[in-house]
Amino acid sequence: MLPAALTRQLVEIVGPERISEETAPFAVHGRSPALVISPSSVEQVARAVAACHAARVPLAPWGGGTRQRWGRPIAAETFVVLRTSGLQAILMHEPDDLTISVEAGMTFAALDAALAAHNQMLPLDPPRPALSTIGGLLASGADGPRRLAYGTSRDLLIGIRVVEATGRISKAGGMVVKNVSGFDMMKLYLGSLGTLAIIVSANFKLMPRPRAAASLSCFFEQPERAFRLITALSASQLIPAAVEYREDGTTASIEVRIEGLPAAVERHVRDVRRLAEEAGAGSVSVVAEGLAAVEERWADFNDAPQTVDLAADELVARLSCLPGALEAALGDVRARAAREGLLLRVQARALSGVAYLRLRGSDEHLRAWHAAILARWPQLVVIGAQPALAAELPVWGAGIANLDLMRRIKQEFDPENLLNPGRYVV
Amino acid sequence: MNRSQLIEELRHVVGPTGVVADPVALMTYDADGCVMDTGEPQVVVLPTSAEQVSAVVRLAARYGAPIVPRGAGTGLAGGATPIGGGIVVSTARMDRVLEIDARNGRVLCQPGVINWELSQLLKPYGYQFAPDPSSQKACTVGGNIANNAGGPHCLKYGITSSHVLGVQMVLPDGSIIWTGDGNPAPVGYDLTGVITGSEGTIGLVTAAWLRLTRLPEAVRVVLALFPDIAGASASVSQVIASGFLPAALEIMDRLAIKAVNDMYKLGLPEQAGAALLIEVDGVDDGLDELLADITAVCWRNGAIDVRPARTPAEQNQVWAARKNAFGAMGRLAPTYYLVDTVVPRTRLPYTMEQVGRISQEYRLPIANVFHAGDGNLHPIILFDRRDRSQNQRALEAATGVMHVSIEQGGVISGEHGIGVEKQDYMTLLFSTDDLAAMAGLHQSFDPYDLFNPGKVFPKGRGCGELAALRKAGVAWSELKTR
Repeated sequence: MLPAALTRQLVEIVGPERISEETAPFAVHGRSPALVISPSSVEQVARAVAACHAARVPLAPWGGGTRQRWGRPIAAETFVVLRTSGLQAILMHEPDDLTISVEAGMTFAALDAALAAHNQMLPLDPPRPALSTIGGLLASGADGPRRLAYGTSRDLLIGIRVVEATGRISKAGGMVVKNVSGFDMMKLYLGSLGTLAIIVSANFKLMPRPRAAASLSCFFEQPERAFRLITALSASQLIPAAVEYREDGTTASIEVRIEGLPAAVERHVRDVRRLAEEAGAGSVSVVAEGLAAVEERWADFNDAPQTVDLAADELVARLSCLPGALEAALGDVRARAAREGLLLRVQARALSGVAYLRLRGSDEHLRAWHAAILARWPQLVVIGAQPALAAELPVWGAGIANLDLMRRIKQEFDPENLLNPGRYVV
Repeated sequence: MNRSQLIEELRHVVGPTGVVADPVALMTYDADGCVMDTGEPQVVVLPTSAEQVSAVVRLAARYGAPIVPRGAGTGLAGGATPIGGGIVVSTARMDRVLEIDARNGRVLCQPGVINWELSQLLKPYGYQFAPDPSSQKACTVGGNIANNAGGPHCLKYGITSSHVLGVQMVLPDGSIIWTGDGNPAPVGYDLTGVITGSEGTIGLVTAAWLRLTRLPEAVRVVLALFPDIAGASASVSQVIASGFLPAALEIMDRLAIKAVNDMYKLGLPEQAGAALLIEVDGVDDGLDELLADITAVCWRNGAIDVRPARTPAEQNQVWAARKNAFGAMGRLAPTYYLVDTVVPRTRLPYTMEQVGRISQEYRLPIANVFHAGDGNLHPIILFDRRDRSQNQRALEAATGVMHVSIEQGGVISGEHGIGVEKQDYMTLLFSTDDLAAMAGLHQSFDPYDLFNPGKVFPKGRGCGELAALRKAGVAWSELKTR
């Protein structure tokens, strides 16, 4: 139960229409919050956070809710969900500077539409862009297929504003593309799963939309041949936008997204085709040409790590390793899945070393698979599982280094442990 | 502090040749490239391993002597200057490249490896370390990490933090940690990210996994000449706004051209008031069209000539002139003060106009050699340090540049860092709350303010909250006022 005084205070801060006691849709790992609030300004967020801090009531920040399956269960009986849906404004967009500042609750699709009008893009490719918010994307530090060419949010985020655990508002960075004025606080909040502060706005450097684009599918009868192509691409001077390895049952394919100047795209199509054939591809085809067609084609690929729709017997995991170890890792994943009788689908950032794995089967077999793979590949993160299974598994993987230092950071920023308590590594 | 006893113990840790205690030799270490502030260290120590650094740090804590990390000392913000004395820890003897792992796109280096030498070493493998500060022939990768260094090519390839995969660091308590090894999705707070750019205030990097960047298949370089800097700046703004993606866009103004023209036999005409160096790279296909599009922008903005550097030798010559322009300033004045600020790219033309106004107002010539594509200004204020009035005017002119940059929505440092040079300007950009958050991060690593104390954060009074957060710094007050 929430203290009545706090509820009254929150009503006063955000207004009665921005408070909801219909909390079931906002359950975190099956546990419903006591209250859901949707502040409509950064100041309201700050005041609400300060009120919760004073009452020592934990908070779970909530963007689009697309990655709430990530992490461990919240370590609190009573908590408040703070939605960022009331923060959707574009604060500043200077198209000719290729920079933008947006509020955290804006969805990625809305941002993308605004940028498309200026022939610009933020190539982060989150799953479920119509739901996924900027704040959630940053807090989870998720990557996308085009990290190969453009990097992740780590490379494109140039400024940030947060509300800290006590309600204090602070910012870092700026609206310029290069900046070493003070510590790089952006890196601290990025990927911290809302455990250090609540992200309320973010500034990005943007990319121009490419003039030309194409997408190639290369099918292989055996994964080994697909990895021959991956090795060849890695050694070449080609610069594809994305190279995704996909495996579903018995088929393996490599999807190559190419974008840039028209002549460079043509050249890449030619060379990738040749390399794929040399690697022993069963078939190679240009499946999309032009940016719109390529984007449509890749919406599905971007969705591979999504955990919004999760079957009752499904587990989604992210395995990361050095790129050169990916083939061996996937070999282990595949063999163990077969042994446990699990259905396996794989999509991997082939040149980066990040694989998203979707497995289906009984809890018992999922558990056995997980334990076996974790023993060999410690950077195995469970990002989607039914609450009971998620509560029981070491979802952040094994052998996480420097926990003492991370604890000191958490202690400094959230000494009362009120922001998403228990959900991240410390 | 018993200095001679400390020196004796340090000798025991690193061997007799690893300790510099001679007063004359110590003078070499009293400043970095920023000579506005100096300070004499008690002792300089040159360890060869993380274990030795750790032992030095433990000794420092015991003796109550701050640690001042130092790479090549090319920094321009006083980051390596022992303003309050203490132990300067030089990385000069940790200068080995330990492993090149091309398959995994990474290289393992000690911090004292020189940036340029690393890229030369990687070249035969077909790779480079992308950050390329102008001081790259001297500066170290450890210094690059500490300052989150830039360089001309970060326009396309990003700043140092995008190229550091993980570091080994000795923390202020003497423990040795690794923050990553190149795993592309590390779990936990991004320690690598916050360490990069922390200016030696939270620990000392003793090794790093750096990202390898594939050398491009083709490179084209042209110099576009303009009658004045306005045309060059406007061209840069429009090139960026048009969505072209060059590898580098660098401007040199009339004074800078004058300084480098003879030295590098560039043969640029005297009527050239500004030169815009344009580089594009990638696969060969399409590069000529891209360059044609970019030069068309230059012509529209009043370019008087566009000169391609056709051979690699010609390209190297142009780049050597650009990167050594600061050194060439000695031909124009006895001293220069290089200011590093950033503005949004659309504000470049106006800001450069204001830099011209500041030059007139303070009656000091200002040369400009800068990373225009990033909006990163480098006004070089030319003066004679022996003349007190000029000295004062140079400082005021630099402050003027910072004010203009902030007014235009910019920041006070793009790649050189804050150090001591700009610490008191931090409040122009950041609120007490902003600074307190940074102080919180600092405290998590260095609660006793052992590493590079008195840097980055403003010295000024009236920052009560911040001062409270950084109260541990008081421990060094005695040293600081000595």
